[in-house]
Amino acid sequence: MGLVEILVLATACGALALTVWLPQRAVRAVAGLWLAAALFVGMRAWLGPWPAAGLGATLAAAGALRLPERLLRRIAFALPSLVLLTFVTTLLMYLAPGNPFANERAAPPEVEQALRAQYGVPESATAFFAIYVQRLALEGTLGPAIKVQGRAVEDLLLPALPVSLSLGLLALLLAVAIGVVLGVRAGLRPGSAEDLSNMGLALLGISLPNFVIGALLIIVFALQLGWLPVAGWGGYPHLAMPVLTLALPYAAIIARLARGGTIEVMQQDFIRTARAKGLPERVVVMKHALRGAILPVVSFLGPAAAGIMTGSFVVETLFGIPGMGQWFVKGAINRDYSVVLGTALVYFSLITLFNLLVDLTLAWIDPRVRDEL
Amino acid sequence: MVRPLAALVAIVAATLAVAGLTFSTSSRDPAEFTFVNAAEPETLDPAHMTGHPEFRIAIEIFEGLTRRDARTLRPVPGVAHTWVNSDDGLRWTFQLRDDARWSNGKPVTAHDFVYSWLRLLDPKTGAKYAYLLGGLRGAADFDGDTSGGFGIDRGVYALDDRTLVVELEAPIPYFLELTSFFSTFPVPRESVEAHGRGWFLPETIVGNGPFVLQSWRVGDRIRLSPNPEYWDLDAVALRSIDVLAIENPTTALNLYLTGAVDWLPSLYPVELADILRERDDFYSGASMIVYFYRLNTTRPPLDDPRVRRALGLAIDRREITEEVMRLGQLPAHTLVPPGMPGYSAPQSGFGFDVPRAQALLAEAGFPGGAGMREIGILYNTHEDHKKIAEVIADQLRRNLGVHVEAYNQEWQSYLASVDAQDYDIARAGWIGDYMDPNTFLDMFVTDGGNNRTGWSDPAFDALIAAAGNSARAGRAPQALLELAPEPAALLQRLVKLDAAGNPSARRDALAHFRLELLHQAESLLVNRGYPVIPIYFYVSSGLVNPSVEGFYSELEFPDGSSGANLQDLHPLRDVRMRAGAR
Repeated sequence: MGLVEILVLATACGALALTVWLPQRAVRAVAGLWLAAALFVGMRAWLGPWPAAGLGATLAAAGALRLPERLLRRIAFALPSLVLLTFVTTLLMYLAPGNPFANERAAPPEVEQALRAQYGVPESATAFFAIYVQRLALEGTLGPAIKVQGRAVEDLLLPALPVSLSLGLLALLLAVAIGVVLGVRAGLRPGSAEDLSNMGLALLGISLPNFVIGALLIIVFALQLGWLPVAGWGGYPHLAMPVLTLALPYAAIIARLARGGTIEVMQQDFIRTARAKGLPERVVVMKHALRGAILPVVSFLGPAAAGIMTGSFVVETLFGIPGMGQWFVKGAINRDYSVVLGTALVYFSLITLFNLLVDLTLAWIDPRVRDEL
Repeated sequence: MVRPLAALVAIVAATLAVAGLTFSTSSRDPAEFTFVNAAEPETLDPAHMTGHPEFRIAIEIFEGLTRRDARTLRPVPGVAHTWVNSDDGLRWTFQLRDDARWSNGKPVTAHDFVYSWLRLLDPKTGAKYAYLLGGLRGAADFDGDTSGGFGIDRGVYALDDRTLVVELEAPIPYFLELTSFFSTFPVPRESVEAHGRGWFLPETIVGNGPFVLQSWRVGDRIRLSPNPEYWDLDAVALRSIDVLAIENPTTALNLYLTGAVDWLPSLYPVELADILRERDDFYSGASMIVYFYRLNTTRPPLDDPRVRRALGLAIDRREITEEVMRLGQLPAHTLVPPGMPGYSAPQSGFGFDVPRAQALLAEAGFPGGAGMREIGILYNTHEDHKKIAEVIADQLRRNLGVHVEAYNQEWQSYLASVDAQDYDIARAGWIGDYMDPNTFLDMFVTDGGNNRTGWSDPAFDALIAAAGNSARAGRAPQALLELAPEPAALLQRLVKLDAAGNPSARRDALAHFRLELLHQAESLLVNRGYPVIPIYFYVSSGLVNPSVEGFYSELEFPDGSSGANLQDLHPLRDVRMRAGAR
């Protein structure tokens, strides 16, 4: 690593640390600025530079004045971390052996030079970073994909994103439904036969890799019974097995979290009070215990949602689904730098968004958290 | 709890609606013929294609001067209806048919080919396969500028709209075959210049093949439909083709077994080979791919040819082909796969012979493997390569007493290690680009980009250079005779050449002479230098729906003989589904 890299890293880390200590006024100003920049870059392609700048500035100003400070602090934090993420990812990619143009058949050096120039992939990481950021800011594009020629990275990711989002969301909802029911029932009677069987199932769900679950489902439902198509993406029957395959490991984890939460809540004083005032057990559980019991589940859902909704390479290849997961793996395998950065940015955005949603949800469920906001 | 429940239902409904919007319409309405392409094509620009998944689609949406006959895979008239090769083999004149049209209705002219070939050769294009046309007269000096005459009246040029002239530095025996290879396919100038890098996407592509690109969803499928402007549209039977980008072998096989796919080339779990080869719809045959190990000849003790040969002698390739791969792969003791027209492989110094190997090792100073450091076998991460490397490591340990350890690296790291010669022994595979031994041999010239073994032999370099320039080799280069391992045989050939009177006899004699040079070059690899250890020749195999007609897994020649479909290439132009198949 050279001096330039170290300087950039230090500056970005400093900027990150600073956002935590910034006074409220500064947070509003900085976050407003970031918001305006992000909105401009995002809308430029659709609206053209001037309308995008105008609308971006208006929205950002409104946001900076009206949004709660805690939210703005997050926004102020987001942009430097985004830059840092991009820079560190670029450095790591360049440190990895190989390059996007390497091939079993060595191409003459002038061919590689021509391709590097065409795709904007110079031999130095900082030069690539400069080109990448400039392209992103000025043209609003994530850069050309190299191993899927003729397309920009956003042309690969945008059609894949709704596929993975819908698949992931359905799987997550199913996982929560299964997991919470199994976990809470187990947690109500720790040590009972139901607890043991539910937790046994959960252990199975965690330990079975999803390609085994998927393969079993295919054998039973597609090959033996012939109810579902073996693979593809063309109708609702195609959803069933991938959703189930994705959901089961998450359901298992959620069941264990819900069980732990339930056991803890059931020992609280307010449950004893609820029981003492003569409430039926059903109401005690549903109205008083459940809220507390699922808190650990909700905290888990933020990262889980970002993970499950960005797709799973294994599930996608097994079921032949044109989702996002493949690009995380192929981008890295092919050293397709822009694809790697594009997936990292999408993942970053989703995880930031979901963590925010989780905090808001926790505040809605738990009054203690609400006061901190 | 009613409101959260309502919200939940709304979320599920909305998600299902979003999912519904993303469904590919084509999979609801299956194509008449569907095949699995193993990988997403990297590009559909002929100048940038390098692999087989691209080749399979290229021959459907573009057509070169010639095309491959499905039954023989020999070049037959495509855009050109006739051609003449001059007596000295250096000048080809192609007459283009009047009714060859692009899918936008415009005629395909000789100028289109000149444009496309210059584009391929232009260094600024960055085409990896530009070297295939490197034998055109003046191509080596071409830098994109036609003011030197290249493309105007030299190398490749149009006499008129319908006449294309190609001039070569030296006769290329496989030149006609190159005119049906994807790199030489014409590209639509207007579209390329108007739309840049993405010109071949469905919205902007213009092609001239039997089919057109109707839609392309990355990670899912490509849909092809007949090209209404194609000159031989009457011959095209299939109404639609789906090309699936499925990469998982199990998924691919499942799709075939449930009837969703009609042709599955090579992509199925190897573990099932024994069961699949019993099926009637399974085919397999020799292919033009060799599996071999590179040896790093710059690292002791592998810098000693005796050690390299000893390693190659101690490997029992039958155990690999019959117990690991089990699809009829052929053990390889030489590098060039069988089936090259007119070519015979040299005797190999690599036959399985353990006592001989032990003796050589002792001679090199390592009796019974004593005193030799541990040797690593590098392979790129893959289940098959792993099994093979472990079997070979075990054989070498058992037969020679040497310490051998197999280790893997992911693809790009492996490429970087091999390129930097940071290995002892490295797994490799090589697919021939054209039906000629040269495509397997010329990579081992001194400092060749694909040599990667550090091996160098001036005699080998001279033989390859002479074979590439055999027109002039007829004038008996004394230097070559001094370097050649079998000068007597060469001299005999040369005498025959001089005796050949008429031009066509002389041309045939030259072609034989050229193959003799390549034969001797290969002999140097497997009898003197040992920079590589050939392991086996691949087979191409697959499953094809019995209702498919016009699909030749074994080629049928007009003289009644048959041959292997070495490139597993199946032009779909002439394929049809038997009536009532679906």
